[in-house]
Amino acid sequence: MSININRPCGTFDRNYFQAKALYRTPLRKALLILLIIGMYLIAFFIGDYGISILTLICAFTIGMLGLQIITGYCGQISIGHAAFMGVGMYTVGILQKHFGLSFWACLPLAGFIPMFIGMVFGIPALRMKGLYLAFATLAAHFVIVYVISNWRSVTNGTDGMWMKRPGPLWGIDFQSDRNYYLLVLTITILMVYLATNLVRTKLGRSFVAVRDNDIAAKVMGINIAHTKIMAFGIGCFFAGIAGALGGAYYEYVNIEWFGLDDSIWYLGFLVVGGFGSIFGAIAGATVWKIMDEFSTLITPLAETFLGGAAFYASAAFSLIFYSLIIIIFLVFEPRGIAHRWEIIKRSYRLHPFPY
Amino acid sequence: MEELIKSIVLGICSGGIYALLAVSYVVIYKSTRVFPFSQAAVLIIGAYLMWYSLIVWHLPIWLGFLITCMGGAILGGIVERAFMRPLVGQPILAPIVVTLCLMLLLRGIGIIIGKGDIQGFGESFLPMGAWQIGFFHLPKIQVYGMALCSLLIAGLMFFYEKTNIGLGMRVVHEDHVVAQNLGINVKRIFQYSWAISCMVAVVAGMLLGNIQGVGLALDANGLIAIAAVLFGGLESFMGAIIAGLAIGILQMLTITYIAPLLPGETTMMIPFVFLLLILFIKPYGLFGLVRIERL
Repeated sequence: MSININRPCGTFDRNYFQAKALYRTPLRKALLILLIIGMYLIAFFIGDYGISILTLICAFTIGMLGLQIITGYCGQISIGHAAFMGVGMYTVGILQKHFGLSFWACLPLAGFIPMFIGMVFGIPALRMKGLYLAFATLAAHFVIVYVISNWRSVTNGTDGMWMKRPGPLWGIDFQSDRNYYLLVLTITILMVYLATNLVRTKLGRSFVAVRDNDIAAKVMGINIAHTKIMAFGIGCFFAGIAGALGGAYYEYVNIEWFGLDDSIWYLGFLVVGGFGSIFGAIAGATVWKIMDEFSTLITPLAETFLGGAAFYASAAFSLIFYSLIIIIFLVFEPRGIAHRWEIIKRSYRLHPFPY
Repeated sequence: MEELIKSIVLGICSGGIYALLAVSYVVIYKSTRVFPFSQAAVLIIGAYLMWYSLIVWHLPIWLGFLITCMGGAILGGIVERAFMRPLVGQPILAPIVVTLCLMLLLRGIGIIIGKGDIQGFGESFLPMGAWQIGFFHLPKIQVYGMALCSLLIAGLMFFYEKTNIGLGMRVVHEDHVVAQNLGINVKRIFQYSWAISCMVAVVAGMLLGNIQGVGLALDANGLIAIAAVLFGGLESFMGAIIAGLAIGILQMLTITYIAPLLPGETTMMIPFVFLLLILFIKPYGLFGLVRIERL
């Protein structure tokens, strides 16, 4: 499901300029620009609650893009993605606390340190694939969580760490929620652009080749080891950036936020969004965060329905609710929202006819 | 030296449960080629079922045991029919995600039925106390647990080797399509595998609940058993048993020698470090089948 395959039938490129273009029609370009402008402007019309949701959607979109590159494009299953996001968050926290660096200096490092760790844990991918890799990343999750929660002198253990939001840049102050949202949105757009272009490069195409059949890819002359390790590295880079942005939004990090469940939700909502497309990652992150808000809204209802103390009912409710959504999607629409969106577009384009 | 022998003997005793759990993973993986991450949460359900039967409903032990086993089998059958069967033939990612989500789903159900608390059996349903052998105490609860585990594994092996369904499972393990052509009802075999495996897992769950207390933390044992499955090889019963015992010994050695040096839950972390080492050195485990792929 690379970019070309998602195209409707009969649409093809006549020259290299068309083949290289990010958008095929002027209408698409206009809509995209309108969407971006709308995303910026909306911050001035909604309250703090809306801004908090949008900030988290943006941050998690970056993380989801990372998983999309590892799992959706390169086909390497990762059950430890939330832990890599946590490494990104803690990188910023540790660098700010112990070295007094500013957020701007930490942000690239928050990408590169998870990238390095991800590459190390990706090494088993050289010898195996599929299920075995899932075990490796599961183990990575536990090892990372153990190190973070027990290296108390550096990470402050399970108590969590305080983080600072970025300082002013070119006279813009990022302390307020709105300005911070605008910053996160800008970085998100950059990262989406980066990911979109990445999957069009030689490396991105070799990701897809490795996913579809790694032996065939090897026969075609792709360096599988390099490709897989790069997929892990780049995916964890994205996760680290997402973690840094999310942590700085809360101005606090805690290891409790990167449970095994979060990694599983990452994978699950990637499926809900759609595999192997950038739009799928964005849709997955959006659905996840909207579900989050929905489940906090509906929790009082669940409490009265289930009876008993609030604390456990809400925990149980979100677990059951999310997992049922993901399972239902996998059973009935395994290719996710992105695929459904293509179907809707197609039926609109061909309206009076079924095909 | 005393410490070493002590940890090894205790490790073998607690490793029985890991072996049982590893076998429950292998049963499903062998016939369906789906790795059931959800078994970790089936433990919780099993422990709570036993707790309800004994403490809440005041049933005798044998009836509680029977109810729990039946409950596990029914749970496995339902899970297979409702969630796994629609996924037959999907790429490998779909069953992995579904079983992971099932783990959380069952965990949620566990929270609801257990009201989020850790419960105890009060009086353990296995004999308490300890035997004094030479220089150390051998807790009876561990030994009886180990005996029950061995009995179950032996029964399972007998079932696998001597009955028709077991034969069917072995054939399905070789090749799904060939088995279908030979007139074996592959779907039925899948369902039996899930039912048997969940039954085994709930027994492990009740034994663990007896030792550690009935609560949500039990699923950590299920995840540790994954290391055992991998060490033994995903498709081998013998490997699962040996590796289960090995993980038990490893954990006890960790408690004796490594835990004083490192802070935190080393017993949870060391098996996963071990798992990573296996993946680096011998990814297909001791007795695993090395699949050679062709284009």
